[in-house]
Amino acid sequence: MDSFIHIMNGFSVSLTPINLWYTFLGVFMGTVIGVLPGIGPAAGIALLIPVSYGLNPTSALIMMAGVYYGAQYGGSVTSILINTPGESSSVMTAIDGHQMARKGRAGAALAISAWGSFIGGTIGVIALTLLAVPLTKIALGFGPPEYFMLMLVALTAVSALTGKSPAKGMLAMMLGLAIATIGTDLQSGQTRFAMGVTELQDGVGFVIVVVGLFALGEVFSAMEEHFHKRSEILRLKGKLSLTKEEWRRSIKPIARGGTIGFLIGLLPGAGATIATIMSYSVEKNMSKHPQEFGKGAIEGVAGPETANNSATAGAMVPLLTLGVPGSGSTAVLLGAFVMYGIQPGPLLFQSRPDLVWGLVNSMYVGNVMLLLLNLPLIGLFVRLLYIPTGILLPLVIVLSTVGIFSVNGNTLELYLCLMFGVLGYVFRKIDIPLAPLVLALVLGGMMEQSFRQAMTLSGGNPKIFVGSVLTISLAALSVFIIGHTVYKALSRKSRLRSSAQTSPT
Amino acid sequence: MFIDRIIVVCTVVLALLYFYGASLIPSLQIGDPLGPKAFPYLIGIGLLISAAWLLLETLQAGKADAADPQELADHADMGPEDNRHLLVIAGVVAWIAFYFALFEPVGFLLATPVSLLGLMVYFNRNKWVANVLTSVLFPVGIYFLFSKVLGVNLAKGLLPF
Repeated sequence: MDSFIHIMNGFSVSLTPINLWYTFLGVFMGTVIGVLPGIGPAAGIALLIPVSYGLNPTSALIMMAGVYYGAQYGGSVTSILINTPGESSSVMTAIDGHQMARKGRAGAALAISAWGSFIGGTIGVIALTLLAVPLTKIALGFGPPEYFMLMLVALTAVSALTGKSPAKGMLAMMLGLAIATIGTDLQSGQTRFAMGVTELQDGVGFVIVVVGLFALGEVFSAMEEHFHKRSEILRLKGKLSLTKEEWRRSIKPIARGGTIGFLIGLLPGAGATIATIMSYSVEKNMSKHPQEFGKGAIEGVAGPETANNSATAGAMVPLLTLGVPGSGSTAVLLGAFVMYGIQPGPLLFQSRPDLVWGLVNSMYVGNVMLLLLNLPLIGLFVRLLYIPTGILLPLVIVLSTVGIFSVNGNTLELYLCLMFGVLGYVFRKIDIPLAPLVLALVLGGMMEQSFRQAMTLSGGNPKIFVGSVLTISLAALSVFIIGHTVYKALSRKSRLRSSAQTSPT
Repeated sequence: MFIDRIIVVCTVVLALLYFYGASLIPSLQIGDPLGPKAFPYLIGIGLLISAAWLLLETLQAGKADAADPQELADHADMGPEDNRHLLVIAGVVAWIAFYFALFEPVGFLLATPVSLLGLMVYFNRNKWVANVLTSVLFPVGIYFLFSKVLGVNLAKGLLPF
């Protein structure tokens, strides 16, 4: 009953005019970020962290969460109109969405993605509300060894599942952990790896790394693509509405996509992108006319667009209830929490129910606002696509500079950010995934703390990490993830080799 | 792939440097059986393991390489054109570093339009009006927003306001 009162109180927080305003600001910026190439939700949230320093934490977090789920709405616009997905979770939308646009049904494709996104987002928040309370009850029993193993599972899953090569995923994770150790060790007070640089004594700022990797790195990659020919933007023709037939065909994909998305979103590592792929293949398999897929089947837009939004809500569950994010963007959100001195997790539900439920309930409101922004007003956002990239990309550089400089007013941090920008560009070229690095960077400090606390508890005996049913199952889970990845890689290689023998090329 | 072997070598070098850095941390083990060194050592080992794993992957890929059309296509990508792109990106990075060097001594309001215009002249050719207008108006807007509305101090530099 207690939690019911807390949830209702949350509405009184999220419906105050000031928080409604920040919800709007967040989802508006999220849509813009989703539409524009060259800047994604991770970089967008990171750039907001220094700017929103003076705000009260609840409003700031409501705004940043708005950017996070709002970006999923905008992502479909570029997929449909220019066949270049703004975010990786909109790749599946491009397949049938762009074909629909070529057949003159761009309006219908955009409308169904807005509706699908809205329904998916709302299903996701309802499920999040229902799941949060029981999960926090379980999580209250977690000690340092359980937390350490939980973070290990999250990192293993993200490293194994993002990118083409699991070895490179692990490398990215280790690099993130290594960067996290730079600076003053909280337990002993010793400075580590600062190389005599004063600025490094407090550690490498998380905002610097994220803005470097995701904003500058992305700008460099986009500048390179600038030389390739630019695909034309299809005109937005027709009304933003669906025929009865189109609605009838979309209802079931939306229901399935919402469920798949939320469940996949809960899991670490999988996230919105994998949810869209699953939803697309489910729709294709269940369809009575699979031959239409790839040629403009509305199911292929409705399912994935619902799935990626309910996945973003699903991904909020481990972040809020356990304090352990399972993806790159939620890791950046955790970074934002930590900047405000707030540690998400079961205890936060007891100490700051107003903040937690104010944030969760703002997502209902935010989804309604997003539907309004993306249905009647989508034409305004489509105009953003006509800004030449040659102007847009330099502006992103200036925004990043201003964002970093306003943290400490330190020029050295600008160069550090530039360095991470180059690193992000190079890593994209050589296929080293960035999500494990960012997640490891955010979790690194907490992981080391819980590792050392656990070892102190056990008097230095590492058996504590397999000392309870929960830790054993978490350990088994990460062993399974690693084993499965290795097995998959091996079987793919042997398939390649056998096909090499049969087909001489 | 050739690049992957370079990554392996770089990772090993990095891991060794990291071990060396970890060995320099003074440790005072009080009440903490591990001290500040243990976790970094574990990460160093992890870096070495991922290098070894990547080496295994490249060796395996090397066997299948000859017949994998995707791999061949990847190699075809690395032509002279690609090198020209790398030069452009290097130029952009140098230009941004120059912008950062100007940032504090000259100030945000003077340094930013100059560097913006430089980038736009190259990436958005022959659109002089649009380029000049955005590279002046955008920094002015940002400056006003940050210094007057958000109360964040951006470098003033030579200008009095």
